[in-house]
Amino acid sequence: MSHAAKPVGRFGFAGMEPTSAHLHRLSALLTLILLIMGFSLMAQSFFTVNNAMTVLLQTSVIGLLGLGLTMVILTGGIDLSVGSVLALSGVISAMAVKAGVPVAPAMSLGVLAGAACGAFNGFVITKMRIPPFVATLGMMLIARGLALQLTGAAPISRLGESFGRLGNGALFRVIEMQPNGFPRVIFPGIPYPAILLLVTAIAVAYLLRRRQIGRHIYATGSNEEAARLSGVRVDHVKLYAYTMSGALAGLAGNVLMSRLVTAQPSEGVMYELDAIAAAVIGGASLSGGIGTVTGTMIGAFIIGILRNGLNMAGVSAFIQQIVIGLVVIGAVWLDQVRNRQ
Amino acid sequence: MSQTPLVEMIDIEKHFGGVRAVDHVSLNLYPGEVVGVLGHNGAGKSCLMRILSGAMIPNGGEIRVQGRAVQFSEPNDARAAGIETIYQTLALADHLDAVANLFLGRELKTRFGNLDEARMYAATKDVLARLNPNFKNLRDRVSSLSGGQRQVIAIARAIYFDTKVLIMDEPTAALGPSETAMVADLIRQLRAEGIGIFLVSHDMHDVFELCDRVVVMNKGRVVGAHRIDEVDKDDVLSLIVKGELPADWSARNLAEAPA
Ligand SMILES: Nc1ncnc2c1ncn2[C@@H]1O[C@H](COP(=O)(O)OP(=O)(O)OP(=O)(O)O)[C@@H](O)[C@H]1O
Ligand SMILES: [Mg+2]
Repeated sequence: MSHAAKPVGRFGFAGMEPTSAHLHRLSALLTLILLIMGFSLMAQSFFTVNNAMTVLLQTSVIGLLGLGLTMVILTGGIDLSVGSVLALSGVISAMAVKAGVPVAPAMSLGVLAGAACGAFNGFVITKMRIPPFVATLGMMLIARGLALQLTGAAPISRLGESFGRLGNGALFRVIEMQPNGFPRVIFPGIPYPAILLLVTAIAVAYLLRRRQIGRHIYATGSNEEAARLSGVRVDHVKLYAYTMSGALAGLAGNVLMSRLVTAQPSEGVMYELDAIAAAVIGGASLSGGIGTVTGTMIGAFIIGILRNGLNMAGVSAFIQQIVIGLVVIGAVWLDQVRNRQ
Repeated sequence: MSQTPLVEMIDIEKHFGGVRAVDHVSLNLYPGEVVGVLGHNGAGKSCLMRILSGAMIPNGGEIRVQGRAVQFSEPNDARAAGIETIYQTLALADHLDAVANLFLGRELKTRFGNLDEARMYAATKDVLARLNPNFKNLRDRVSSLSGGQRQVIAIARAIYFDTKVLIMDEPTAALGPSETAMVADLIRQLRAEGIGIFLVSHDMHDVFELCDRVVVMNKGRVVGAHRIDEVDKDDVLSLIVKGELPADWSARNLAEAPA
């Protein structure tokens, strides 16, 4: 009982880090490292700064969605609507830009729209007592329908350079002008989306570990009735989690549409499944109460790297689906095996 | 007793469809008094206690705390009135540790609104040491603890805060003999401090050892309320099983009364 002696664990929160969850994350991390090593051997261009930045960029969208889903899953719920909410948010931001709103407030509007979708989910779940699966399935259709209806199913393009900055910009990008007049990228820089993901991950981890709301999120998912009897406002907690998930989906939508410099109402189909997979691979339990930000981040990177590496190795998108499906099942199975012992 | 009761429950009623779980029950509790609430399974004991702890909303009746009418719509309301409950199900969040459970819903915070882990840890350590000096697993999640340890945490949570009324719904059900003795000591100590206690129990030995009065429920109704010195185990058993006192009770009691 060495860790029982010290009052504050590394995160001041050792109780929420049962050993089996530690193990799960450790094995997920190991998987990640093995993947990186494997792909590096298979494809020369995999282990390069350029590709690392590409992976970061690609993972940031799944990562943002995964963070929101982690909060929801921790309460014992699920959010199937994030892929559609992502599209709706991006569309709303783009429409605002088209209507003459400057980019930053326009994007905030998109994120707010995402939060509103999430709040609606929370309302349906807590006040109308509809199970999360059904409520968010409904929102999945509603948000997608709205996005398609608002745009007439046509992409919104020509949004201007500043709309693309969030998705395409990078910090510390080093470009050298060559004698022939063309620029040469020495260091691609750290993409803004990756920075956004890092900052968001830290913020969510802080909420979950250090704030009362985080404690109550874990409590609600551990034992909803016990939490209620202990004075936790369970409905409020759930509303918070779904609203956050919606807002993060909105953020992810803006990142993605900005990256494309086009708002695609049909973007993000099935992204919710990647995000759920990221959380589950990272050790989150769909029955609630177990899961961490670190785990979900590792899960998101496993999926991102699998996609990227398989692409580079020339594996078809169909096979990629199969592989990721097997990884999800494998991750949960390993967890089951461990828990049975 | 002439002083104001700590708790008055007047004509409380709760039904689920056709099931009358609590059928027009009135019950008082005075400071420093232990009242045993007895009855067979499904008699309505837990329902009555949950109504007093704000976890269940009654269909009718009135609750007064220290003479003031109150209306509990959630457990926090009852806790704010000084009523703490150890639920039959313990109501612990399995994936959290002892510290998090003890302060669940009432977390201590730092100046910046962060969870004050250090203070909560220290307080948990103190209160658990009072109950069970061997309790060392403060940072283990409670699902990995024994039934007795879990019960100790539930008890600790109920006595740590400023408690006036303590509801114990079968608090010793999962405890071994030494822990049961510890809980008995604790009950005596709390009674001496003037706390009023409702003790729901199936254990006749505990009831006669600890209670000042017994209230027996049957099919949602109170079928008997007696000072503990008016009745013996057979009387109470008869109340529980048949819903009435043995035929010779009043004669026996009258004979004893003058002495
Ligand atoms: N939430 C509920 N919904 C429907 N019926 C309920 C509910 N809670 C309790 N009841 C019913 O109310 C009655 C009283 O139950 P209660 O739990 O109060 O019994 P109890 O005296 O505590 O029994 P035990 O000794 O088994 O704990 C039972 O018939 C039970 O089935
Ligand atoms: Mg009961």
